[in-house]
Amino acid sequence: MDAAISTAVSGAAPVTDAPPYMSVQRVQKIYETAGGAVEAVSLADFTVTSGEFVAVLGPSGCGKSTLMMMIGGLEPTSAGRIRVDGAEITGPRADFGYIFQDATLLPWKSVLDNVLFPIKLEHGRTRDHLERARELLELVGLWDFRDKRPRQLSGGMRQRVAICRGLINDPKLLLMDEPFSALDAISRDDMNAALADLWDRYHKTAIFITHSIREAVYLADRVLVMSRRPSVISHDVRIPFQRPRRMAMQETAEFNEICGFLRRKIEEGYQRA
Amino acid sequence: MTATSDGARKKPLLPTGVLAGYLRQILLPVAAALVVLVAWEVSVRVLNVSPVLLPPPSMILERLQELFFPLLLKHAIPTMWESVIAFLISSALGIALAGFLSSSTLLREAFYPNVVLFQLIPKIALAPLFIVWLGIGSQSRLAFSVFISFFPVVIATLAGLDNVDRDLLRLCRALRASEWQTFREVRLPHAIPYVFSGMKIATTFAIIGVIVGEFITSQAGLGYLILFASAQAETALILAAILVLCAFGLVFYGLVAIAETVTRTRFGA
Ligand SMILES: Nc1ncnc2c1ncn2[C@@H]1O[C@H](COP(=O)(O)OP(=O)(O)O)[C@@H](O)[C@H]1O
Ligand SMILES: [Mg+2]
Repeated sequence: MDAAISTAVSGAAPVTDAPPYMSVQRVQKIYETAGGAVEAVSLADFTVTSGEFVAVLGPSGCGKSTLMMMIGGLEPTSAGRIRVDGAEITGPRADFGYIFQDATLLPWKSVLDNVLFPIKLEHGRTRDHLERARELLELVGLWDFRDKRPRQLSGGMRQRVAICRGLINDPKLLLMDEPFSALDAISRDDMNAALADLWDRYHKTAIFITHSIREAVYLADRVLVMSRRPSVISHDVRIPFQRPRRMAMQETAEFNEICGFLRRKIEEGYQRA
Repeated sequence: MTATSDGARKKPLLPTGVLAGYLRQILLPVAAALVVLVAWEVSVRVLNVSPVLLPPPSMILERLQELFFPLLLKHAIPTMWESVIAFLISSALGIALAGFLSSSTLLREAFYPNVVLFQLIPKIALAPLFIVWLGIGSQSRLAFSVFISFFPVVIATLAGLDNVDRDLLRLCRALRASEWQTFREVRLPHAIPYVFSGMKIATTFAIIGVIVGEFITSQAGLGYLILFASAQAETALILAAILVLCAFGLVFYGLVAIAETVTRTRFGA
């Protein structure tokens, strides 16, 4: 059964002539701490093509956030290189959008001002940006809440604001680190559907960190499985479903088959460790 | 019949409910204070205590009424002016120094322990030094008052600037905000409640500074009046002056609290 699911272990990306949009080349991360060195990422090596939605799936503590921070230029690599759109990553970039586990909204700013915060920092607030903020907030159903403060919103609403903020700059690459893991199961389904909709509309390249198998399979074109430490990308699984994705898809046998396959791969990782 | 049956249910001593809750919060302490004042009045009269030792509240009120315009107000004005000016200077200085110290780890590591250590000095003991340095005019009182009232502002502001959620700072980094932008957009708004808590303490300290200065050397002010009245054994006048001082302190604190509410609704911090 497993053999039916197309899987390629790291590095074996589809062969094309053009250089990939993003390449993570033999990247390693070691944190030097007072208690000794912690090898957060042992070896990550993969490529991503433009427009792909890639989920990175793994148990907590395996180094997923570290990997995302390195791709986003927020942490230096200890070894290896990361290139995006032809340039090596040396720090945060304007063409990236960042969405973190906590919404991290500014509590003293309104919803609208939070969404426009990246623009404000670039001294570039224009009518166009306001229009775009409106479009994004309407898409996630929060335009009527634009003047509210974050504390007046639920956790799911706050995270939707954070997603709008991540998209306001029209980034080419969207980096999401477990954006929905603090939410309850029902809001999480809502958020997944909302993100899938946004995706169909804007079609960015995305790295989506998660420890939820179903979430990864529902949203992604490809799932990278990260093993428990020493953490490597152990599997690279293509998700064959068409877009737009529908919630009902989660009830199909094929969906559950892929989820089961991924679960077994993660468990294998446990046993090896 | 049980105690909880309708007929036997006791009426509460004070009315309940939201509005009644607020009323209660005001009425209860006022009633308690009145009880103490009445007990004071009665016992001083019954025990025939000399008014030089402890005048009854009625006598203090009488003095207040009689001398408010001719004497007390005249002396209150310079004290209030100097306190307010000292407070404004120490707030500005305190916030600026805190911003300066938080701008670099090196600066903070070098100076913060010294600021804390300085905080521990019984600063009132240094008051005479200010007279040596600046003479007996109002500038020495002002300088001393600023000196003792700006520490709480520095310490509180620094705490506010530094206690910022690390996630927010990471967001600023991801959005490539400059140090200055991070300060203006995140650290400073986050620090506003802290700054105000420091400034509220500073109102009290500024008044203390001015009064101590007036004790040491001055020709006017409530501190001077208190010292003068005590030399005359005018205990009721001393207490009347203290009453005026209390009223001023309350209004001063209240104005800062209002400024805080206005700023916080403006920034929503
Ligand atoms: N800044 C850091 N300093 C030291 N160790 C860290 C740091 N960040 C993460 N780690 C360690 O690296 C490992 C991977 O962490 P992380 O990337 O957050 O994993 P995940 O996101 O998969 O839960 C953990 O053992 C964690 O304790
Ligand atoms: Mg993480």
